[in-house]
Amino acid sequence: MKDTVIETKNLLKEYRGRAAVKNLNLNITKGEIYGFLGPNGAGKTTTIRMLLGLIKPTSGSIEIFGKELRANRMQILRKVGSLVESPSYYGHLSAWDNLEAIRRILGVPKVRIAEVLEIVSLTGEETRPVKGFSLGMKQRLGIAAALLGSPELLILDEPTNGLDPSGIQEIRSLIKRLPGEQGITVLVSSHLLSEIEQMAGTVGIIREGQMVYQDTIAHLQQQAAGHLRLALSEPETALMTAVRRGCGGELQEGRLVLPRMSDARVSLLVKELVEEGHAIYRVEEHRQSLEEFFLQVVGGGEL
Amino acid sequence: MRTFLRIMSAECMKIAGFRTWLLILLSPLISLPIGALSDMQEDRVITWQVLLSTMSAVHALLFLPVLSGLFAALICRNEHSDGGWKQLLALPVTRTSVYFAKYALIVALLGAVQLLFLAGVLGVGWYRGTEGGVPWGLLLNSLFGGWFACQPLAALQLAISQGWSSFGAPLALNVCFTIPNILIANSSTYGPYYPWVQPVLAMSPFGEERFGAFNLPLESLMIVVSGSLLLFLGAGLIAFWRKAV
Repeated sequence: MKDTVIETKNLLKEYRGRAAVKNLNLNITKGEIYGFLGPNGAGKTTTIRMLLGLIKPTSGSIEIFGKELRANRMQILRKVGSLVESPSYYGHLSAWDNLEAIRRILGVPKVRIAEVLEIVSLTGEETRPVKGFSLGMKQRLGIAAALLGSPELLILDEPTNGLDPSGIQEIRSLIKRLPGEQGITVLVSSHLLSEIEQMAGTVGIIREGQMVYQDTIAHLQQQAAGHLRLALSEPETALMTAVRRGCGGELQEGRLVLPRMSDARVSLLVKELVEEGHAIYRVEEHRQSLEEFFLQVVGGGEL
Repeated sequence: MRTFLRIMSAECMKIAGFRTWLLILLSPLISLPIGALSDMQEDRVITWQVLLSTMSAVHALLFLPVLSGLFAALICRNEHSDGGWKQLLALPVTRTSVYFAKYALIVALLGAVQLLFLAGVLGVGWYRGTEGGVPWGLLLNSLFGGWFACQPLAALQLAISQGWSSFGAPLALNVCFTIPNILIANSSTYGPYYPWVQPVLAMSPFGEERFGAFNLPLESLMIVVSGSLLLFLGAGLIAFWRKAV
């Protein structure tokens, strides 16, 4: 049995009768990087705020580390580090003092401050007031704050939002290191598929407050893999052959279109078609990009 | 309790700074020349009671109510300005302890103001050679009364400041309600129930020349103050529990 870190059941959040999050069933396993993907306003941040107890769900249940959130909030949050939306900081304090203020509440040893500053490469900048920091530095400080309590679960909401490409790269490699090095489970949200694709092992896609897809990235890539198109002399009889072979398929614009299949099956089918006397002009694979697939999913298309 | 102390220590860090010290010093400093220059008749030596009443007039009538609101607004501004609330409340803390820590800090700052004011009164008194020994009972009663009478106001202002993300609005509101003090202090009907005037009612030395709301026995005033403190603190806490961050 897999260790479940976050499990929500029928999570619902309504604002004045409009559901921002609807029947959301989130399932996150220990040690994975879970990509929470969806367009802006789909309900990602609302969900994350509920997971942290910042807002109360209208209905539904949240379990983190196998415990009900509301009854065990303190105990759970001790093991959770978070960065919600834009980075939070006290502008008049230095980076060090910002972390110190949080450290005093968490009660962790002082050496952790230097450690987390090192992790996010802010060492050397810690004495400057944070209001003079660039957005990327503030974001990294936010991640440092999230890491301060050595959490088992890290919840990062749009951690790369507003960063330049090198900053994005840096944060991405940092996030990817965490589960391996420290066994941390990471929930990272983004509106960019490419982001999630490069970091996450599992992805949950949310649209208009509802989960429309939840599976591994590998499975998502497979789903988006596309199909095989054959241009040949007699498509109708070729289709019958393909159906007889169990390959399925259909005719589109005079071409035989088959779902994706293994190389061995492709070669067998082609061989048989040639032996039946078909002239084969083209065998092409049409790959739908993951991006197209994602847009189709969030755009309301069926899977 | 340990969580509460930890939050307190974090709150102290956030509020520490030049501006806060300046605010604590402001009113005691202003009361110095008032005390030094008041009642300069040659034939009469000033009494402690007169000195206290002149020095505390502006302090308690104007500064204490304004400072109660200012400290509350300052303590919440840090959280409002750059997403502090969501970071703070996603830590392993209860909202109740966060709220009480913030409230306790306001009360402590007001306490510091009162202590400095006491130092000011003593300083001016000794400088002017005020007659008689130091009436500790009178002074401490007045200071403690003023400090305690600020607390409902501090609770009310904290309740407002945690809800309003604006820094200026709660302050402007506070000042608007402080100005009528001059009039309301004269009313024995409304005075005791008006949170902004309570500090001056509690702080003024209780001599023979009582008038308006100053006529009220201290006990009755303290009952009203305690009641409104519980009311405002409770209401603010409930609002903070329900606050969506």
